[in-house]
Amino acid sequence: MAHAAAAEHHLETSTGLDNRKLLMWFFLASDCLFFGSFIAAYLIYRDRNVVGPYQHELYDIPFTSISSFVLLMSSLTMVLALAAIQHGNLRAMRVWLIATAFLGLTFLSGQAFEFTEFWREGLHLDTNLFGTTFFVLTGFHGAHVAVGVLILLSLVDASLRGKLTEQDSLAVELGGLYWHFVDIVWIVIFTLVYLIQTQ
Amino acid sequence: MENPELMVGIPLVLLGALGLFVAVSLFAMPEPAGGGRLIRRAEEHPTPSQYVVVGMFLAFVTAVEVALYYIDMNFNVMVTVLIVLSAIKFLFVVGFFMHLRFDSRVFSVLFFGGLLLALALFTVAITTLDANLV
Repeated sequence: MAHAAAAEHHLETSTGLDNRKLLMWFFLASDCLFFGSFIAAYLIYRDRNVVGPYQHELYDIPFTSISSFVLLMSSLTMVLALAAIQHGNLRAMRVWLIATAFLGLTFLSGQAFEFTEFWREGLHLDTNLFGTTFFVLTGFHGAHVAVGVLILLSLVDASLRGKLTEQDSLAVELGGLYWHFVDIVWIVIFTLVYLIQTQ
Repeated sequence: MENPELMVGIPLVLLGALGLFVAVSLFAMPEPAGGGRLIRRAEEHPTPSQYVVVGMFLAFVTAVEVALYYIDMNFNVMVTVLIVLSAIKFLFVVGFFMHLRFDSRVFSVLFFGGLLLALALFTVAITTLDANLV
């Protein structure tokens, strides 16, 4: 932790901040617009369907609630991984990173199952406006989760090969920022898309 | 107003604006005596046990959200409560897990600036295209 703090206070940039971290926050801010657009499109078009199936016929709230819980807990394991490397405990960091990747893959498996079920019920990308906006929104979120899992596994790999040390905690922090962002996007999607349904 | 459903949408947008105001207030920590402080120290991050407490709190709020879905109550009230609970979860993850509460204010301004733009885009889209929010 002392290393991370020291590094943060001796950066020779015009802002005094690490440019990589600044860029990550820029990216996350722009991604807010990306997902904001898709969520708005979903809310606008979900009820303008000529044919079914409709949302209330398909959603399985208990199942999606468990998926949401899994993703939420992955944020906890991610921040514990960061705390571990900041305390110089690389082994614990790897354990938490692998746990986070496992939870992320569990979430993706749940999403794959959900998409398959919806597909069997007759909801395709081009079936109706609900199908189009739902699959695009949640599909892009799933793609973000998949990229996050790859980032986590690459961090584990770098650590195992000795290329990620206590001094490189920023790499874990940046991966964590991305992962937490994926989580907060799902917090919004879970509420607006799944829990608040029109009849 | 031609579309009465927008009467429900407007309070939701105002609620979002209120959430942003609360967020900005939350993250604008008081300056220490003797001058401003742009960069906050990593030592101020929560401990692992504090992270676990935050995680358990988030799980509890999620359980409450799911329970509300099954409780027979006024739909508009349920929507309002769900959005408030969602905003609380959002702020806790951003504030504690992403460390915005402890990090440089520059990051907070950047992120909430993007969020504000997204909210503006969201508001314009749902009002001009008459979205049926609830």
